[in-house]
Amino acid sequence: MIITVTPNPAIDKMYWVDRLKMGRVVREEFLTRAIRSDTSAGGKGINISIFLARMGVENVAMGFVGGHTGHVVVRDLREEGVTTNFVWVNGETRTNVTVLERERAHIPILIDEEGSPVSQEEISYFLRRYKRMLKRATWVVLAGSLPPKVDADLYRVLAEMATEAGAKVVVSARGNALTHALRAVPYLVKPDTREHLSMEGAPLTTRSKIIAAGRRIIETGVRILVVSHEVTGDIVITQDTIWEIKARVKTTQFKNLVGADDVLLGGILYMMDKGEDLKEALRFGMAAGILSAESDKKICQNMEKIEEEMAHISLERI
Amino acid sequence: MKVHQIMTKDLTSMEKDALVRGLIFTLDNAGMSNMPIVDEEGKLIGFISEKDLIKAALPGYFEMLHSTSFIPDMNQLVKKLAQIADDPIEKYMQHNVVCVEEDDDDLQAADLIIRKDLKSLPVIDKDGRLVGVVKRIDLLRHLL
Repeated sequence: MIITVTPNPAIDKMYWVDRLKMGRVVREEFLTRAIRSDTSAGGKGINISIFLARMGVENVAMGFVGGHTGHVVVRDLREEGVTTNFVWVNGETRTNVTVLERERAHIPILIDEEGSPVSQEEISYFLRRYKRMLKRATWVVLAGSLPPKVDADLYRVLAEMATEAGAKVVVSARGNALTHALRAVPYLVKPDTREHLSMEGAPLTTRSKIIAAGRRIIETGVRILVVSHEVTGDIVITQDTIWEIKARVKTTQFKNLVGADDVLLGGILYMMDKGEDLKEALRFGMAAGILSAESDKKICQNMEKIEEEMAHISLERI
Repeated sequence: MKVHQIMTKDLTSMEKDALVRGLIFTLDNAGMSNMPIVDEEGKLIGFISEKDLIKAALPGYFEMLHSTSFIPDMNQLVKKLAQIADDPIEKYMQHNVVCVEEDDDDLQAADLIIRKDLKSLPVIDKDGRLVGVVKRIDLLRHLL
């Protein structure tokens, strides 16, 4: 069974607009009307859970939820067929807003809330539940930011517990949370480079810098490192090989980048869980991610189209 | 239809040493009316409902009156609840849990929910581990 942990889930609120109007005074002409909107459960681990459920993979989503928005997250996950096991906390699950302007959807405007703090007591309660769930786990995905006031060491603790229980660990995080998690030597790591193109202080701005930083991580025992290099290209470093995955698509075709990165990781995990070859898993993941970006919907689910998209994905050894 | 096809796939549960205070918080925030109790393996070992808590705070009232509207003074309930707030839920939980297995028929779950007047029914796998719950609304939704 696959477990995803999203300590700081969110409601993803998306607005599609013609053009975002900005003004210095309050006047009707500065009102931006949404052509349409969408609300769905979000957060990196949750997006992966939804993708896996749509692919028919049983999985359990864990983390912390609270308030009205917490109920929306849990309800959405259940409707998608994901098993939920969240700790309810004081405060409200955060809301992240995305504004997509017509003709500029590949450059979305993102407003993310920080989230509600989680107490040590709530963490302890979560750890007991998590330990219980690990007895059924083959893969554990630790993904996304940590809630305010939570020790940056949390992912290291969770990763070590999972490894000890015999599960393979996937980490998709950034900053201190990622740095600490790396000490537990996860199986697969995907740094979240949306805000800062760095990992453990090392820049991830060019191919050579990504490879240099990646090699240092792989030397610690991490088996697979996936780093987003360009919107349509990732670099994958393993103990034996370095690959560049490229999608031959135009970024102007992209309609919604939110969650596409998580679908990429979900696709890789889906294939590896089935015991497929890593190269195929990487091509499948990239195809699923690209298809999500090309779709209005946040998370794609069409297996046939993913397989068609794989024709545009190349994997080159560097 | 099988139970696993209609159940709510939620594993919200507590261990027997959790406190009544924590149970009330989770019931309130998660919008639940009862809680499955599991051991360290995730196996179902008990069940506790709002009704069990009110019974614990005001023993005898349910048997006598079948309605809390006859309680003369709500302060009694408040005081008693405060007294038991830091007790482990084990003290008040039901040990003989009415439950179904995930491969049982939905009719069996419906029968138990109606006959035993339950709001929800825990679902377990072959090893006795909690895998979900069937709520009254799950039955209604699937009947429609």
